[in-house]
Amino acid sequence: MDYLAIQLFNGLVNGSFYALLSLGLAVIFGMMRIVNFAHGVFYMLGAFVAYLLLQQVGIGFWPSLVIAPLAIALLGMLLERSLLRRLSGLDPLYGFLFTFGLTLLIQDAMRLRFGLQGQPYATPAELSGAVTIGAITYPTYRLFVVGFCLVASVAVWYVIERTRLGMVVRAATERADLTRALGVNVDRWITPMFGFGLGLAALAGVLAAPMRNVSPLMGSELIILTFAVVVIGGMGSIAGAIVAGFLVGVLSSIGAIFDPAIEGIVAFALMAVLLLVRPAGLFGSLETR
Amino acid sequence: MRRLAIAVVALAIALALPRVLYPVLALNILAWGLFAMAVDLLLGFGGLLSFGHAAYWGVAGYVAGLVARDAGAAYPVAALAGALAAAALAVPLGYLSLRRKGIYFAMVTLAFAQMLYYVANEARGITGGENGLQGIPRSFPGLALGQSMSFYYAALPLILIGYVAAYRIVGSPFGHVLVSIRDNEARAQALGYDTARYKLIAFVLSATLAGLAGSVYALGQRFASLELLHWSTSGEVVLMTVLGGIGTLWGGVLGAAVFLLLRDFLSTSDAFRDAPGVITGAVFIIVVLGLRRGLWPSIGRLAARIRR
Amino acid sequence: MHIPRRLALPLAGLILATACGGGTTGGPAPAAVKLTDGKLVIGVINDQSGVYADLSGKNAVEAVNMAIADFKAKYGENALGGPIEVISADHKNDPALASSKATEFYERSNADIILDVPTSSGALAIAKVADAQKKLYINITAASTDLTGPQCNKYTFHYAYDTYMLAQGTGTAVVSGGGKQWYIIYPNYAFGQDMTKSFTAAVTASGGTVIGSDGSPFPNQTGDFSSLLLKAGQVKPQILGVMQAGGDLVNVVKQYNEFKLKDQGIKLAIGLLFDTDITALGQDAFAGVQYTTPWIWSQDDASKAFADKFLAKTKIRPTFAHAANYSATMQYLEAIRRAGSDDADAVVKALEGYKFNDFFIHNGLIRPEDHWVMHDAFLAQVKSKAESKEAFDYSKVISTIPADKASRPLAETGCKMPK
Repeated sequence: MDYLAIQLFNGLVNGSFYALLSLGLAVIFGMMRIVNFAHGVFYMLGAFVAYLLLQQVGIGFWPSLVIAPLAIALLGMLLERSLLRRLSGLDPLYGFLFTFGLTLLIQDAMRLRFGLQGQPYATPAELSGAVTIGAITYPTYRLFVVGFCLVASVAVWYVIERTRLGMVVRAATERADLTRALGVNVDRWITPMFGFGLGLAALAGVLAAPMRNVSPLMGSELIILTFAVVVIGGMGSIAGAIVAGFLVGVLSSIGAIFDPAIEGIVAFALMAVLLLVRPAGLFGSLETR
Repeated sequence: MRRLAIAVVALAIALALPRVLYPVLALNILAWGLFAMAVDLLLGFGGLLSFGHAAYWGVAGYVAGLVARDAGAAYPVAALAGALAAAALAVPLGYLSLRRKGIYFAMVTLAFAQMLYYVANEARGITGGENGLQGIPRSFPGLALGQSMSFYYAALPLILIGYVAAYRIVGSPFGHVLVSIRDNEARAQALGYDTARYKLIAFVLSATLAGLAGSVYALGQRFASLELLHWSTSGEVVLMTVLGGIGTLWGGVLGAAVFLLLRDFLSTSDAFRDAPGVITGAVFIIVVLGLRRGLWPSIGRLAARIRR
Repeated sequence: MHIPRRLALPLAGLILATACGGGTTGGPAPAAVKLTDGKLVIGVINDQSGVYADLSGKNAVEAVNMAIADFKAKYGENALGGPIEVISADHKNDPALASSKATEFYERSNADIILDVPTSSGALAIAKVADAQKKLYINITAASTDLTGPQCNKYTFHYAYDTYMLAQGTGTAVVSGGGKQWYIIYPNYAFGQDMTKSFTAAVTASGGTVIGSDGSPFPNQTGDFSSLLLKAGQVKPQILGVMQAGGDLVNVVKQYNEFKLKDQGIKLAIGLLFDTDITALGQDAFAGVQYTTPWIWSQDDASKAFADKFLAKTKIRPTFAHAANYSATMQYLEAIRRAGSDDADAVVKALEGYKFNDFFIHNGLIRPEDHWVMHDAFLAQVKSKAESKEAFDYSKVISTIPADKASRPLAETGCKMPK
């Protein structure tokens, strides 16, 4: 019973990352119709920024939570402005291939610079230690991660779905032409939204740094799992991304109780099931094209 | 007549290749070329980007290896077994993947390939897991196939069958309907074609060719490993297809040749040897930004100019 | 002085022999060496970009070069009658890539020998290739006992260490120290599987029990071992045996500390610990841990001398893998001298049964039955940072494990060496 509870927590932790990452992916896709294969790389870069801030400048975890996403968002916006722009009218295939190439390039460049061994990043002192609830002892930091991600996800969802700002963004996404006709400068939103999506990925990276290996490949397996999550949740849907992320995390961990081997496969199996019964995903709608 | 001349020249090149290049490299080029052609069949002619085609290349490689090693089968039988396994796998996976369109389809294929990667890793009793399937034999009654040079010529007919099959599929009525579905699915449906069935058949045919290629590759390497199923393999074959030229079919072989020769050349130079990912990634970006038509059309233009 | 006639000839012969070469360095000078294709090509295949890159990697090639330079200094520039070339490749811990690189080295580059090769799956793959190509292969950095077991062959030698040695040293020591109940976690590939087998045998033989074992995926991209560690927390063994190596080990230890398993009374035993792991996580994270190693750079003066030369070239102190690469290269070149040729069969004969000592190998014997290089091993302990005298001074030797205890008994190897 205790083991179940611990694995449930573990599932929520993993799910937090899936949720945050697929959220960013959904925002970028919704805005730019680009499937950002490089999302995992920006997650990794966020973690590295946090590591470097600590290593070189002595800036700790809490400021990094703000600085790293901003820095990565800026980097992303520069990238979008200079290179990604050129692919805007084309088949989404090319955007996908471009971000795929970018992934290989950045990952390998980071590997050259830092090696694959992984850099240490200490858990912030305030959050180290463990919390005992009944018979279960669970690391404080991981509980923090779950809480933080939940709050962040809900905040993003709220902004996009319930505020005026979000309404404009959604309108620009779904019917850019009509929105333009109504006098809104749609193009102005593209770059910032891309940066925002990447910022979310970098945020996840900073959160992961104390828990995982800060290593160039830390995002590479994660990104494909995130794709599965996004298909499960429904591509265009913000709520879908969040719910699917936590769902996949929890189900995978529970699966691990029966057999550690199936933990990695649960997400894909779930995706297969969904494709069979509800191709649009839990919250999404089928694309027309 | 001209086509016959081109075919003869191509055959001559194929026969001479292992004497010019290291035989293993030559066979790799041919195998990856077939793999890229399979991807192009689906992408260039069917309009479907599969980003998980390594699933079929890899599964076929493992099956061929197992059949050759454990059943002691001759290499053509092993290759056939691999191709059929890929075809069988493509039916359910293709069906599920085709429930989505466009870029979602690509993502789903990628996810399925990753799933197979995990499964192969877990089923280490069969696949050897991370250790891989080592020491795959290649045999044929009456022939000694130990040396790489000998196996090249032995495998050449299999590859050529694949090439010819791809060429015939694309030129057939089926191929033409496929192209029309690519261009405007609604209109094809209006004309009475069961587009879902056509797409699934195209998917399975593509997977079979990819499987044949993967089987030959694994037999050539005498090794099947998880790398065959990895997403980077799926990505590399798409790169070769795009590099060669989407929709040109033979561009796939050209793209494979250029990519593999480039990588081989760079692996000897100290400066670039350490950074294969940087090179591959950069090639991807350059091709996508500036060379989207691929190399094959450029060659065609060059050939036209020479003829004039 | 009058020498009786019947003694003159033998006496003259004795004087001649002594004049020609004798001395302590190794016997009479051999006939001039003839290289089969006019040059000697040494291939080094290892991990230059992944989890084991710091263990051997590029610096192993440096070590090989150092050995060649010292060999030439000892015997002259043209000691082998031809140039000595070193080529290297990165196998990225992928056995398929290792296999194809080895084939390429032997076939395309005419390599006469392949050295190093960490990652047991790759190591075994290359053993097959060496046998098929009938060319020499001295594995240095992989630990699988299969190399001198079911997968042994005429051209493969296993030089520095293996899972049996590690298990005998660490397993026995920990059980004698009171840690009787073990739970083992391991990376799920040849090495990890082999380690689990060896450690289970050693622990059981010394009176302990292994209550269970679980594997983690390898390579492990997520770096997340929480499910395994949490399960260990449930099982509550006295000892958590960790067989992960390199970057994986760093993560396991990090998360072991995170989940406070030590407070729950679960002590850590590490199967394979490299200096580079200690660098990655910091010395104090490992302080007090006991582990088995074939060599530490600070263990005696000869080793320190080598370590100083190595430091000057590479700015780091050598790991045992670096030292072993040097030693193996030197011994290979000496074997060529003894054999008079670099022909693989001749060198194999010169190596089999050879007894020797150098700064890395103490009481060394290359066993003809399975091509395992017997030598002493050491039980070491990680010092706390306060105890260290300089950078990289991580550990001290606690005791010596004599060569026959550190080597698997011939009856158990399962090796059927063809004649």
